[in-house]
Amino acid sequence: MKRLAVALVAVMALGVALAGCSSGGTSASGKPSILIWVDTPRIPQATEYQKEMKGKVDVKIETIAQADAQTKIALANRAKKGWPDVIFGTAADTAVFRDPSNGYAADLTKLVPKKIFDGFGEGNSDCLFDGKYYCLKNDLANTVLWYNTKIFKELGLTVPTTMQEFADTAMKLQGTGYSAGAYGDQLYYAAFLQSSECPLAQLTAPNTVRIAPSDPKCTRVAKLIQPLLDAGVIDKRSPFDAGFIKDVAAQDKVAMTIGPSWWGDFVIRPAASWNVPAGEIAAANMPAWGSGNDNKSGAYGGGVFTVSSHAKFPQAAADAAVWMTTSDWMATAATTPTFPAYGPANKLWEARISKDPYYANNVYTAMAAGANNISQVDRPVRFPFVAQFGPTLAADIVNGKSLTTALDDYAKSLQNLAPQTGYKVITK
Amino acid sequence: MARSRTTRRSLIAGSIMFAPYLILLALFGVWPIVQAVLVSFQPTVVNPAGGLQNFADVVVDARFVPALLNVIVFLAMYVPAMLIVVSLMSLLLDTVQGRWNLPLRLSYIVPASMTGATAVLIWYFMLEPSLSPYQGALHALGITQGNQIWRQGGLAWIFVAMAFFVGAGNWIVVQYGSLQSISDDILEAARIDGANAWQIGLRIKLPLIRKYLVYMGILVFAAGLQVFIEPQLISGSVYTGIARDWSLNQLSYDLAFQNNNLAGSAALSLMLLVVCIVAAIIVIFRTDFFEGTGVAKHDK
Repeated sequence: MKRLAVALVAVMALGVALAGCSSGGTSASGKPSILIWVDTPRIPQATEYQKEMKGKVDVKIETIAQADAQTKIALANRAKKGWPDVIFGTAADTAVFRDPSNGYAADLTKLVPKKIFDGFGEGNSDCLFDGKYYCLKNDLANTVLWYNTKIFKELGLTVPTTMQEFADTAMKLQGTGYSAGAYGDQLYYAAFLQSSECPLAQLTAPNTVRIAPSDPKCTRVAKLIQPLLDAGVIDKRSPFDAGFIKDVAAQDKVAMTIGPSWWGDFVIRPAASWNVPAGEIAAANMPAWGSGNDNKSGAYGGGVFTVSSHAKFPQAAADAAVWMTTSDWMATAATTPTFPAYGPANKLWEARISKDPYYANNVYTAMAAGANNISQVDRPVRFPFVAQFGPTLAADIVNGKSLTTALDDYAKSLQNLAPQTGYKVITK
Repeated sequence: MARSRTTRRSLIAGSIMFAPYLILLALFGVWPIVQAVLVSFQPTVVNPAGGLQNFADVVVDARFVPALLNVIVFLAMYVPAMLIVVSLMSLLLDTVQGRWNLPLRLSYIVPASMTGATAVLIWYFMLEPSLSPYQGALHALGITQGNQIWRQGGLAWIFVAMAFFVGAGNWIVVQYGSLQSISDDILEAARIDGANAWQIGLRIKLPLIRKYLVYMGILVFAAGLQVFIEPQLISGSVYTGIARDWSLNQLSYDLAFQNNNLAGSAALSLMLLVVCIVAAIIVIFRTDFFEGTGVAKHDK
C-alpha cells in the first residue's frame, strides 16, 4: 500500500515535471506549439509530420504505451495540466475522455472539415458519440476469412461464404491434422460474437447499455461453434499461445481462420510467428451469419487520434490529427502497414498490398468489403470491455468451459462494471 | 543538574540523527497517507455525495471478494513458507562454519538480487512448456500446454514461488547475521547440558532471535498483502488479463485508472494500510518486540 502510494505520488510528480516543460504553448518565435503522444508504431508518421510542419508549427512528440493512455490522462486531469494536444489510443479511451467526468476529448465536428468526415465514410463511426465526432480513426481491423490455398486444394475444399459453410468446412478437417484456427482470446468475440451482433455493449440511450447474452444473436454463436470446439477442429487456445504456434500454426496446419486485416502481415507471415510460406495464404470475405444485412464483420484492434479540449491551439492540434489519419504519406509508407480508415488514403494503401507476392490472391478485396461493414451494435464504452476478455471469456474457453458459460461469465463481469462508470444496465 | 544536561544533550543528538529519516517519513510516508484520507472522501461517479460510502462501495465491488480471497490464499502460503524455510536455512547456514560458509551465503544472495519484475519473466520461461529448459520434467508431469500452468485458480502458488525466491535468500543471510549475535557462552552451556544440534537450534537459537523473526514476519506479511507486480505483469504479457484484478492492490490501481475512481482507490489503499498496522500492532504487543535492545537476553 505504502509502496503504491509512493509510486503514485512519484508518477504524479513526474507528470507535473513533464507538464512544466512540454505542454503546448507558444514557442519563442511565436508559432503554435503542440505536443503529440503516440505509441511506438506511430512514431514514423508523427516524425514525418514534425518535419513537414517545420517553421509553421512546433511539433513535440512523446512516446507512450497505448495501454497507458487512460492512466496518463487521468493523472494529467488530476494535476490539471500536462495534457498532450493529440493522443493516440483506442476508441474506448475516447469514450472515457469525452465523458464530462473526464473532459479531455475535444468535439471535432467543427474543427475538422466536413470533406474529411465524408472521406472516412463508415470508417470513422467508432468516433461518433451522441451525434458528434470526438476522434479520428487511424486504421481499421475488420475481420476477414484467411485461408490456406494449398491445404484447400489438397483437401478439395471450397471457400465458405456463410458461417454455416464455415462450420461445415471446419468439420471436414476432422482427422486431417489441420485446424480452422484458435479462438481462446479476444478473437472469439471479434470473429463470432461481434459479427453475429450479440449485444454486449449496445448503447440504447446515452449512458444506458444493453448487455444481453441470452439474445438469440448471442446464443446462435455457441450453438454453431461449440461442436467445432468439441470436435477439435478449432483450437481452444489463444492464437498467440506459444504451444498453438509451435504445434499447429508454424507447422502450416491452419487451413483457415477468421482474423483481422492486420493478421496477414503481423501474425501469419512473420518468421517469429506463424511463419506460413509465401504463396499459400489468401483472404476471402467474412462469412455471413444470415442473409441480407446479417453479414457484418467484427473488429480486433484499430486505433484513433483524440484531440485535447485543453489545447492552446485547437486548430493546429486538430490539423495534426487529420494529417496523421488521412495523409498520402501515411498511406504509402512502408512503416504504416495497417489498413487506413480514411477512404482516399486507403486507396493508396491498396496499391502496395494488392501487389504483394506473399499472398495467393488480392487480399485487399476482402478487407475492403468488410471495412465499411463492421457491426455497430457494440459501441466503445467507458468500462473495460476489452480488458475483461482475459479473466473471463478467454480464461473459460482455454480452461475448457462451455462457450455459453464463457459468454455468461464475461457478460456478468460487464454488468458489474458498467454501473461503476455511470451506465444503467439492461440485461434482457 | 549534570544529569539533566546529559539527558537534554542526548535528546538533541538523537533528534539530529533521527531527523533525516523523519523528514523522509513525513514527505513520503505520512503525507501520502493524509492525501489518501482526503481523496478517499471525495465524490465519485457512482457516489456523487462522497464520504464513507466510498469505502462501502469498494467492499461491495464484485472484484473485491475474489481479490481478497486470492490475497488470503497467497499470504497463507507465502508467510509460513518464508518463516519456516528462512529459519531452517539460516540455522543450517549457522552450523556450517569455515570455508563453505561464504560461498553458501553468496549462493543465497544471488537469486535475491533479481527484482520482482525480472523474476516474473524468468518464471514464465521456466514454466511455459514450449519454451522451458525443463521441458522434459514438465512433460513427464503431463504438462505439455501453457494453459495447464497458467490457469485461474492455480495462480497463487506461482506468485508465491516468484515472491519466495526473490525474498528468501536475503532474509536467510539477514537471519544468519542475527544468529551470529548469540553469545558463544550460551551455546557452550547448552552443549555441556547435553543438547544436540537440533535441540540447540530449535530451543536455544530460534527463541533468541525471535524478535528478528517477528520483524521479518511483519515485513513479509506487509509485502504479501501488497502483492502487485507478479499478477500485473503476467496479466499484461502472454495470457492477457488472466490475473486482472487478482490482488487488492491491482484492484486499487484499476479503480484509479480504469474506473476514474481515485476516491475508491484511496479508500481501498487505506483499508490495506489499516490491516497492516493492526497486524503489526498485534504481533508487536503479543511479543516482547520493543523490550530490551536487541537479541541478547531471553530471560525477563
